[in-house]
Amino acid sequence: MKNCFASMCWKGLRAGFVIAGMTLAWAGVAHAQSAAKTAADAAKKICAGKTITIVWEAGLQSLDPLNFSGPLWEKETGCKIKVVEVPTAEMFTKIMQDYRAGSGAYDALNVVPSWMPDLVQAGALEQLDNYVDKYGYRAELQKIAPTYRDNQMKVNGKIYGFPDDGDVFIMYYRKDIFARDDLKKAFQAKYNYPLAPPKTWKQFDEVGSFLTDNLKKEGTYGASFFREAPYAMLMFQERFRVEGGKFFDANMKATVNSPIGVRVFTEMRNENRFMPPGVEKFGFVENLATFLKGESAMTISWPPYGRFAAGYLGSEKALDWVPKSTIAGKVGYALPPGGHPQLALGFALSVATHSKNKEAAYLFIQWLNSEEISTKRVQLPYTLRDPFRDSHYTDPVYLGLWPDAKDYLAALKAASQTGLLDLSLIQTDTYEEALRQGVGRLWAGEDPKTILDDVAKQWDATTAKIGVDKQKAVYNAWAAKSGAYPK
Amino acid sequence: MRSGQRGTFRERNFKYLLVGPAIFVLLLIGVFPLVYLLMVSFQGITMTETSTDFIGFANYRQLFSDARLWQALLHTVIITAIALPIELVLGLAMAQLFLDRLPGRAIFIALLVLPVVVSPIVSGATWALLFNHRFGPINQIIGWFMGRETILLWTINPNLVYPAIITAEIWQWTPFMFLLLLAALGSVDRSQIEAAAIDGAGWWRTFFRIVLPAIAPVMTVAVLIRGLDLFRLFDIVWALTQGGPGTMTETISVFTYIKGFRQFETSYTAAVALLVIVLLSTLVMYLLRRVELAR
Amino acid sequence: MTPLAGRHRVRLCLRLVAAVALTLIFMFPIYWLYMISFKTASEIYAFPPKWYPSSFNFDTYRVLFRDGDAATVGNSLIVAFCSTALAMFLGFICAYSLARFSTGGKHLANWIISQRMIPPIAVVFPIFLLYVWFGLVDTYVGVILLYTAFNLPYVIWMMRSYILDVPRALEESALVDGYTRWQVLWKVLLPMCRAGLAATTIFTFVFAWNDFIFALVLTRTEVATYTVQITHYFGGQSNFWAKISAMSVLGTLPIFVVTAFMQRYFVRGISLGAVKG
Repeated sequence: MKNCFASMCWKGLRAGFVIAGMTLAWAGVAHAQSAAKTAADAAKKICAGKTITIVWEAGLQSLDPLNFSGPLWEKETGCKIKVVEVPTAEMFTKIMQDYRAGSGAYDALNVVPSWMPDLVQAGALEQLDNYVDKYGYRAELQKIAPTYRDNQMKVNGKIYGFPDDGDVFIMYYRKDIFARDDLKKAFQAKYNYPLAPPKTWKQFDEVGSFLTDNLKKEGTYGASFFREAPYAMLMFQERFRVEGGKFFDANMKATVNSPIGVRVFTEMRNENRFMPPGVEKFGFVENLATFLKGESAMTISWPPYGRFAAGYLGSEKALDWVPKSTIAGKVGYALPPGGHPQLALGFALSVATHSKNKEAAYLFIQWLNSEEISTKRVQLPYTLRDPFRDSHYTDPVYLGLWPDAKDYLAALKAASQTGLLDLSLIQTDTYEEALRQGVGRLWAGEDPKTILDDVAKQWDATTAKIGVDKQKAVYNAWAAKSGAYPK
Repeated sequence: MRSGQRGTFRERNFKYLLVGPAIFVLLLIGVFPLVYLLMVSFQGITMTETSTDFIGFANYRQLFSDARLWQALLHTVIITAIALPIELVLGLAMAQLFLDRLPGRAIFIALLVLPVVVSPIVSGATWALLFNHRFGPINQIIGWFMGRETILLWTINPNLVYPAIITAEIWQWTPFMFLLLLAALGSVDRSQIEAAAIDGAGWWRTFFRIVLPAIAPVMTVAVLIRGLDLFRLFDIVWALTQGGPGTMTETISVFTYIKGFRQFETSYTAAVALLVIVLLSTLVMYLLRRVELAR
Repeated sequence: MTPLAGRHRVRLCLRLVAAVALTLIFMFPIYWLYMISFKTASEIYAFPPKWYPSSFNFDTYRVLFRDGDAATVGNSLIVAFCSTALAMFLGFICAYSLARFSTGGKHLANWIISQRMIPPIAVVFPIFLLYVWFGLVDTYVGVILLYTAFNLPYVIWMMRSYILDVPRALEESALVDGYTRWQVLWKVLLPMCRAGLAATTIFTFVFAWNDFIFALVLTRTEVATYTVQITHYFGGQSNFWAKISAMSVLGTLPIFVVTAFMQRYFVRGISLGAVKG
């Protein structure tokens, strides 16, 4: 051996290592690159001429499979794709009804991750581990950004869906307003710290009210949110946890009505005072319109705001409904106060258990979700699918889409590492519904503590009906996930 | 006589032949759901439980102690009790207005029917936009009268949610009453009215003594149909308030929708549905009998 | 001019004013809705609200036709038309039987009425199950059958009342004159119920046209009606107001035509009331 480290023996060994290394690397790269190709090739064999039916959110989201991925898949594999568009609010209903009736009309599905425990419990989603191993998709699955990968893929340790949408709440703010010298000086004088996008909710209150006081005459408010109940409910989930709240205690008793919860509710209502009047009724589009017209200096929302604000629509007719952005180039991106944004909603791709084309359906979703194809999909101007893979955040094409795209992607990447998962248990919607109604009552002027006490009572009643132990197991499984509570 | 016997036979068959097809269709679609509801209401099917074992009256017992259900019924009754009379009176007034000749009457009538034609979901969404505090014209118009900018949150303010829902509902369905009553008024025997006028009876007297009884059958049916539909009010409430704030405007169908379509409490919802059917049937039968007696 | 004629003039004027005012008030929401189909997004979310669009562009309509969304109006037409025709025919003859012969007595009449008390939300799922078993989901036949069944009680109930209003004398004299019962039904009674028939037809059509909950559950892609299509435009992260509004325009125009057509019978039926007795 001693001799080997000299001269040719070592050279040979070294060469051997290099070749071995390169082969491994090539195999690894080739393996990773070909998840899309693997799927397409396999599908060519199974599905010629067949039609795969996939349930997709109606409207803008469906343009992806209708105009891009569906035709592309058909070209590469000969399998037809039929898109069943379903209004967002009806997706869960249609999937469950179809499952219960055993009609087998749907092959592949889009599901919101917080529905997964319910759907898996009911038996509506196909377990995907065997297919993943058969087609070697584990490696590429690993490369999905941690928060989505670790929180939105598995139930009870088994894979039931591929996270396919980087939904997360990030903060958008007007760089130009925050850079104004007159405002900076006045703020520093008043509060003793520099004017900047707020890192805590206390700072948000101060910054927001300050900006409104000073800019109202110019027609701009410090901030606006989509305060309509379904959206505000998700924001509450985030803030409550960021401030240290826990949804349930060790005995599965609801603790949303803890002092933290009451404080969050109270602060939320107080903040409305420096927001545009009637903000309680702002939905996604009203809030977007307000921000794009320059009437608010800060807002929190899903990633599409960033693309719309930058004017990245091109001449996309599908986006005609988006008000013209007057603030392109003036938008900054940051994590919301507290630094742990809500992974609000999102989508995962799944296979229906009653499907008659399970394997073909699986191959389609693997192909959709793969590195190669998903990178293209999240860059479609009309898409609502947001970056969700590590590679998306550093993709050179995406970075060049508009001047501030790198900051945008950086913010999304940061969010993807610290995001908080939506609460998902058995009958999640029942719990969320109680919260939604609570928000409605909050805006109507009722006392926060009373409202939250009622919400806690409803939660406990629901838990009792489902079975405390049963729900506790599911809750503990959820709470064990990295994105359940801020670390 | 031969022809007479044949006549009676044919007549007997004739009337059954007339009702036969209709009943067939009704049975085809109507029987299974009711049987299903009945069966399922005695089972324990929920989102997570699919066993079809019978669990007795558990669902019905839960029914009676479910405060939210009875509140939903109360909300529904309130909306019906307010909207129905207004629609009736307004519809009657409009029918009377258009009864006699009027230039362009046909156009007016065709236009006035349009509100009924707009899909309830769309009309709900439209009214949501109309009532919108910032982008809707209603607050703007009120602002003109009040002299200053008014921000009324029609779909959040507890004092305004019911007026908002009722306004949208009246707008949409008064034309229905209007058209039905117009048809009825049009078939009232004019000679009787003219005779009364000659006798010196005033307009109101004629109306209450002659016209009203003449249109009573159609009016009763119209009120019953509209009342039943109001009971099933869903789209407008859903579009405006989703039953909120809290559960303040939750009607029975919003309640059923949430329980059945969102939370998949299939068995419980079946029990609720049967309860509603029984309640409505009892009420309608009672009212019909009163009307029959009055005639 | 006699005082009576003068008073009549004034009354006519007042009635006209009232008619115009009423029509304006009732039309305003529809005007607002239709207008949106021509507005740009910024105009829809303008503050203070704009009462008219700055220009009339038909882009949205073009998109709806190009994407095939407008085809759903065609589906609605087929389904509503067929089910209305069927329901009117079956319902009218059934109503005649009930009104003139009291067929089945109280029980039948009450049973038919009770069918209308069934809340659709409650029965839509069992019907869905039934349809899955018979392969009727997302088919024209299935939806038409359903709408017919759901409109029959209304038609029967309404027509029975209108028929009861018509005195038997005309029919009886026609029978004596040698008409068959069938002919009496169509040639003598039908013209007398013109107004009621027209009104009932209009609303039966409208009920089928506007249904949402059944269409939502029982259709997927083939037979989607325009009401289901419109709900596609309400998203959690988007609101295609222009499309919602344009589809509504497309969705109400056919009814406008139907109503305008039925108009003649309606108005004629009202004026015919004077010929009674």
